[in-house]
Amino acid sequence: MLALLPLMLQAATVPIVTSDAPEAVAVTVYRDPNRGGGAITLSNLDGRALITETRTVDLPAGPAVLRFEGVADGIVPVSAIVTGLPGGTVEKNRDARLLSPAALVDGTLGRHVRVRWTDRHSGKAREEDARIVAGPADGVVLQTASGVMALRCSGLAEQPLYDAVPSGLSAKPTLSVRTMSPVAGRATVRLSYLADDFDWQAHYIGRVDEAAGTLDLFAWLTLANGNSISFAQAETMAVAGEVRQDRNAPTGAMPASAQALSLQCWPMGTTSDIAEQPPFAPDMIMPAPPMMMSAPIMVTARRNEERLQDVPMAVMIAQQENLGDLKLYRIPEPVTVAANSQKQVALLNRRNVPFETVYALLVQPARDAIPARAEIILRLQNRAKDGLGLPLPAGPIAMVAPRGDRDLRVGEGDVPDTAVGQEANLSIGRSAQVQGLLTTVGQDRWRYEVSNANPFAVTVEAVLAFGQRPLLGAAKRLPRRNGLPLWSVRVPANGRRSIDLAVPTPKDD
Amino acid sequence: MIRYGLMAALASFPAQAVAQSAPQLDARSAQGDLSVTIYNSGRSLISDTRQIDLTAGRQRIEFPDVSARIEPATATLSGSGIGIVEQNFDFDLLTPDKLMEKAVGRTITLLRTNPATGAETREQAKVLAANGGVVLQIGQRIEVLRDDGLPVRVIFDKVPENLRARPTLSVTVESTKAGTRPVGLSYLTQGLGWNADYVALFDRSAGKIDVQGWITLTNETGTTFDNANTLLVAGQVGEDNGGGYVPYRRPASPVRRAGTETSGRERLGDFYLYPLAQRTTIANRQTKQVSFLDVSGAPAKAGYEYRNGWLNGADTAESASSVLKFSTARGQGLGDALPAGTVRVYMKDARGAAQFVGENAIDHTPMGSDLAIATGRAFDVKVKPVVEKRERVNDVKWRTTMRYTLTNASPEPVTVDLIQSGLDWVWADTRIASETLKSERTSADGVRWTVPVPANGETAVSAVFETRN
Repeated sequence: MLALLPLMLQAATVPIVTSDAPEAVAVTVYRDPNRGGGAITLSNLDGRALITETRTVDLPAGPAVLRFEGVADGIVPVSAIVTGLPGGTVEKNRDARLLSPAALVDGTLGRHVRVRWTDRHSGKAREEDARIVAGPADGVVLQTASGVMALRCSGLAEQPLYDAVPSGLSAKPTLSVRTMSPVAGRATVRLSYLADDFDWQAHYIGRVDEAAGTLDLFAWLTLANGNSISFAQAETMAVAGEVRQDRNAPTGAMPASAQALSLQCWPMGTTSDIAEQPPFAPDMIMPAPPMMMSAPIMVTARRNEERLQDVPMAVMIAQQENLGDLKLYRIPEPVTVAANSQKQVALLNRRNVPFETVYALLVQPARDAIPARAEIILRLQNRAKDGLGLPLPAGPIAMVAPRGDRDLRVGEGDVPDTAVGQEANLSIGRSAQVQGLLTTVGQDRWRYEVSNANPFAVTVEAVLAFGQRPLLGAAKRLPRRNGLPLWSVRVPANGRRSIDLAVPTPKDD
Repeated sequence: MIRYGLMAALASFPAQAVAQSAPQLDARSAQGDLSVTIYNSGRSLISDTRQIDLTAGRQRIEFPDVSARIEPATATLSGSGIGIVEQNFDFDLLTPDKLMEKAVGRTITLLRTNPATGAETREQAKVLAANGGVVLQIGQRIEVLRDDGLPVRVIFDKVPENLRARPTLSVTVESTKAGTRPVGLSYLTQGLGWNADYVALFDRSAGKIDVQGWITLTNETGTTFDNANTLLVAGQVGEDNGGGYVPYRRPASPVRRAGTETSGRERLGDFYLYPLAQRTTIANRQTKQVSFLDVSGAPAKAGYEYRNGWLNGADTAESASSVLKFSTARGQGLGDALPAGTVRVYMKDARGAAQFVGENAIDHTPMGSDLAIATGRAFDVKVKPVVEKRERVNDVKWRTTMRYTLTNASPEPVTVDLIQSGLDWVWADTRIASETLKSERTSADGVRWTVPVPANGETAVSAVFETRN
């Protein structure tokens, strides 16, 4: 054996070094740029993550193949970057040929195997040499000393036995690099790659203090990993802002070809197969409804004990930094991003943020005079002097208001990506208490009236959308917002206010 | 025939990291000296020179292990003293079903096993038909194969001709002399293509990028090409698709100005050639990446772009595109032509780790071009377009007042390329009557303002357009 070794070294291919797991890992999660608001569905994640792994390998001198195992299933193979190899990267390969029964036949085609027949009663086995002459598509044909036959068409217990595994087949799709080390030794290698099947989202909770006109704004950073690989003790980050994802870019991710061996024979019909009448179709058996997907959600922050449904008090808050034109949120401690799970960490927490409630109405000429309910808008100024002044990544918001010792949900809306200094107008629902009605009072003359059934005064902002027609009368001097006249009015408690509009019809209309 | 890989030999040395202890079978293919020329389109040229022992006169040569996605009509054979009589590409695959079908009218051997005793009896049978079931004539009686469900082994004398384990190319040639000589086979195949992948690390404060280019080969032919001399051709080589529908491909062009420089790389006509330095094995279902470009410290800068459609207004400000600008020129850029592919841009975070900030496609880009790659949308740089006023001046003339508010929440001043498009809408003829910042007409359809926005500040641009229908 030892004497043979030099010969073997010459004849054999390059040595293979396998790295089965990383020692340290960092995960940066990117949002799906095309998903609007709403919740994340763990089974259908279209965001991405950048995984950076540190691995230690022992490399021989000269050429070697370094195989990386335990990478995310959603890996975008073409994005893989390997640094830290003393001899550099000669080439990177991703092999999707997997070891399977069909691959065994395919790789042994034209070669010798043994076929074993086992007597079903005595258990006695008999083996015979054979050569695979065809397969694995549509059955396997064997050549034995006695003649040509098809595998498993005789009704006997028979199976082929292989001497070796065809080369280049692996259990899982594998990423490998070829390198050429000047000397043998230990190397610390950094492997980074993009992986599909991740997503994240900000979830806001706004707790309104009606009397003070402020709210406590809290947000969760919800991360989701749809891969079957867990990242233990990972340095975890999330990136806000829109990162372009080229959906048409070739990713090099070929579907893995792991085929079962489908053995087919010649026609096997017998005399007893003659169907006298069409077979009776049994009633469709409805499958039991699948169990509700119950994704485990890990919450990595403690809630305030004092009040059960208060805005959570987080002991660990993600830290925000700038990354080019994007915002990066870093979870300060290493956490485990488990396979097929969601995880929540506090994203931000601000108390006593002043806000303004505005009732918005859009006024358009209509045939029927039907009162319209006003949209409730929460207006926040994203400025430090107004208690905020920090980037707000897009996400849904739930508004709650306290009643005694419990919080009631009073509205829901969506926060867009809001930069510092920007005004955020959050639409959280419609009010039946504040309504607007447009009525005709004469030729080209209208009256618009808003009513308030609340026991407090409200601010109403009505945008007059009469196309490009000029407004006359009291409306002539109205300020404009986004190019349209805006009637801004304070409506007293349980009161009404109205404005008269003259909108001359152009002669050729 | 069977060679055990090094790993099996080393399995007794525990100190070595052993990948697999299972014995490995090295598949040796019938391929000869391979040269592979790969085009971007996924259609590639294979040249396979094999040593073939020929006799004088007419004979058939078989070429197993050709690509399973060969275009047989493109196959050509060359060799000294041979003339081609005919070429065949046989798809007739050997399966148990075909084996029985071809045995109709012939005699086969049945080996019956007694289920109780295990005793075997041998019989000759003639196959009468194989439709639905197999009808046999044994002596003077007729029966259906395995009608009783008992085990019967069917043994055929030989594999019928023209049935093959894999699709095989066969050529009938006329040879003037006998002897072994090299015979070259070349053909086109589908399923073998390439594109480029770029990794760009952008250092914003230094205004520099490091770019690595990788050639990515993808083999979906069903065949492994062993130890092939590989050449890649960059560029769109004209292809006849049989007069079929050619989908309009929107040119994803980040090229702002096409270059006029010639790269020092090997060329053929209008195409750049990228030969791989070493012979390589392109395994079936493999994605292979080989480095071809490594440039560090090329100048680059971040830019912003916002494009507004005609008469578009927005209630809330919209993020401008983040654009990475650099050149492929010699001296002040990458200094090379870039084959089409995907550029992935990375930047360092506060702790110095590279983070992904976006990707985009580039087309084949000549050397000396100016590129502007949109990587995403900026969180802090926003534009709010508003249609302030739209009034009718007379029967054919409209006057539109647009106002654009550009905001910058970042602590650095930025410059935004603000583009108003749609000026050439249908038959309209649009001109700018007045504006607060000098614009540049970039096309019949669009106008561009280069707007400086101070750090943590805002800039407003107004313009009055006059449209004549």
